[in-house]
Amino acid sequence: MMKVLCRIVFTLVGGLWVFWSSGTVEATSQPDKDVSAGAIIYERSCSVCHGISGKGDGPAAFYNSAYSASRARDFTVGNYKFRSTPSGSLPRDEDLFRTITNGVPGFMPSFSGLAVEQRWQVITYIKTFYPGFQEETPEAIQFDGNGSTIPATTESVQRGKALFQVMDCHSCHGAQARGAGPVAVAEELTDSSGLPISPNDLTNPTGWKNGTTARDIVRTLLTGLDGTPMPSYESQLAGHEDDAWHLANYLLSLSRQH
Amino acid sequence: MKCSLRCHGSRISTLWALGVVLFITSLPGWIPDAEAIPAFARKYQVNCNVCHVRWPRLNPFGEQFLENGYQMPGTHDGGMVEKIRLGDVTLDDISNYIGFLFDVEPVTNSALRRDVTGAEDQTELANVALLRMFTAGTLTEDVGFLMDMTTLFSQSSDVELGRAFVSFNNIGGMNWGHVRIGRIDPSAYFSVATDRPQFFPLSPKIGPPFGPFGPSIQRWSQTFGSAAASKFYGIFDRNMAPIFPFAPTLYNSTVEAGIDLHGRPFGDWFLYQIGILNGAEERWGDTNNSKDWYVMTRFDYAQSDNFSANLSGFAYFGNHNTKVLGGADVSRSRYGVGARIRYRWLDLYGDYTIDRITDLPSGMSATFDDTATGVTVEAHAIVTDRLLLGVGYNHLDAGGVLSQRKSASFLSLQARYYLRSNIALQVRDEVNLRDAEGGTSPARNLRNQFITNVSIAF
Repeated sequence: MMKVLCRIVFTLVGGLWVFWSSGTVEATSQPDKDVSAGAIIYERSCSVCHGISGKGDGPAAFYNSAYSASRARDFTVGNYKFRSTPSGSLPRDEDLFRTITNGVPGFMPSFSGLAVEQRWQVITYIKTFYPGFQEETPEAIQFDGNGSTIPATTESVQRGKALFQVMDCHSCHGAQARGAGPVAVAEELTDSSGLPISPNDLTNPTGWKNGTTARDIVRTLLTGLDGTPMPSYESQLAGHEDDAWHLANYLLSLSRQH
Repeated sequence: MKCSLRCHGSRISTLWALGVVLFITSLPGWIPDAEAIPAFARKYQVNCNVCHVRWPRLNPFGEQFLENGYQMPGTHDGGMVEKIRLGDVTLDDISNYIGFLFDVEPVTNSALRRDVTGAEDQTELANVALLRMFTAGTLTEDVGFLMDMTTLFSQSSDVELGRAFVSFNNIGGMNWGHVRIGRIDPSAYFSVATDRPQFFPLSPKIGPPFGPFGPSIQRWSQTFGSAAASKFYGIFDRNMAPIFPFAPTLYNSTVEAGIDLHGRPFGDWFLYQIGILNGAEERWGDTNNSKDWYVMTRFDYAQSDNFSANLSGFAYFGNHNTKVLGGADVSRSRYGVGARIRYRWLDLYGDYTIDRITDLPSGMSATFDDTATGVTVEAHAIVTDRLLLGVGYNHLDAGGVLSQRKSASFLSLQARYYLRSNIALQVRDEVNLRDAEGGTSPARNLRNQFITNVSIAF
């Protein structure tokens, strides 16, 4: 009896090995806008946190942030943190693609293991959770002019340091930019779901959720992080976008000092 | 007078436990924010709690990561997919694949039945200090691996190899087949995985015998649970080394050599597992020349409302995997069910197993019980982001040599406080609920056990 069973198991495993070694099949042949393909990917890769109906209430969602921010995104309300679009707007597909590819440090791993086509397919599916995507065509804030950045000269860093005070960044992020400003210490900050939230330690880029390049920082400053206390500075910086780059250079200089 | 003596140790242990729990739960807010450190967290730059209810217990996302062979759910991840020259490898690259666990029990107190054995209550300092190194990850797309090695400083400085296997994942590009080959933990995908206890298990300590009734048990931890336990008194492995009745074994072994296949061919609601092992308690090689095998199915329910539930059942068929007094071969098999419910802060789980020994020599049937059962029920609550409280019940209806076997029931209370998501302080108290019954079974010697624990993963 056992010999027969052993043969069955080994034959099964051997057969599977041959099948497996013949090459993995990825759903790359589907068109990018294939919602049904996106649904399959979503169900297997995303729903455990974001929930099968996209409400951010998957069975694993609670554990990462039980009693403090940030929970998995609720796709049904159209409120997105990581955008290149004005505050209050929906994100562009490219923004969603960037988040899926890069992940969110600390909270969501990178899903770059999904093929590029699969990422576009799952974006198509995620957008079905919120009808606003059918009505709105989000436009990105233009902030890099001719595409060049401002070099991180001493003058630029000093200008950024002054702006850090002028723009009241220190009230949340603290004078040392370590996330211990008076508002943070008073524990008065909450996100849109009412969970306590802490400002980022700006001297440690590994925790920066919206990217770590100067361009990422400028984008964060201009768009804000909707659903969190981090506001958009688009109106304050209108007409002198260079200041956003100076501030970015200053913040990057902080991480180089530590 | 006898009662007051007997109760004294229990009271002290319970007061110890309550005191430390109160201290831990009132720790002030100066402790720094939790951050991710250990290997997979480093590799994927996420907090430990992305995959864990609270480390080391997995949450549903972590379970899917495990099922997919250390790849993100639904992906063929791969990690290193390009050829890397040795000179290009950095310390960061290496650290993404290597993790360490340091675990120490600063204080352990065992209250014993001194009226029978004359043994004194024992308070041990730094009883167990353990260093475990593991390396795990993906070699290329859909090929994962894991190996762990452990040194117990309190016993010897020998390094013991634990799990060591290669996994071939997503056979056919789908989620219907993943194969592990090597030294595996069979119950990894069961509702109640044996390995990953919330508390490192204390090694058992055997004391002087209760007269003719065999050695008395002076220390052990119910961490693995009675359902996972060996359950029988008077059985031996194939090298005639005694098998401790409370050690995990068979399907619930923490490591055995074999091949395992699992997958979800019909979607997320159903998982199957089938495997074949060299046998139970086979350290190296195959002294038996026949195999043990097992099947398991698991049904998962719910993907929303922060709720999930699953129900599992398994059958493990032993084949001349055990010996009894006199050296005769017998077959030890196990059948079990398990279930788990998670809702927001609550994690409730339990399993029940029945063990049967067949092929007993005819002369032993009058002195040997060939059936044993065990049940484990535990609940954990995430009280704050840092504090996990737990309660557990274990009941062992032991089998084996009739003169020794006795039922044992233990209640466990524990608190685990996370200084960071990878550094935990813990206290645990285990109360023998059948202490008042007295008796001379080896298991009745231990009346209460209090354990403190510090675990650091990095």
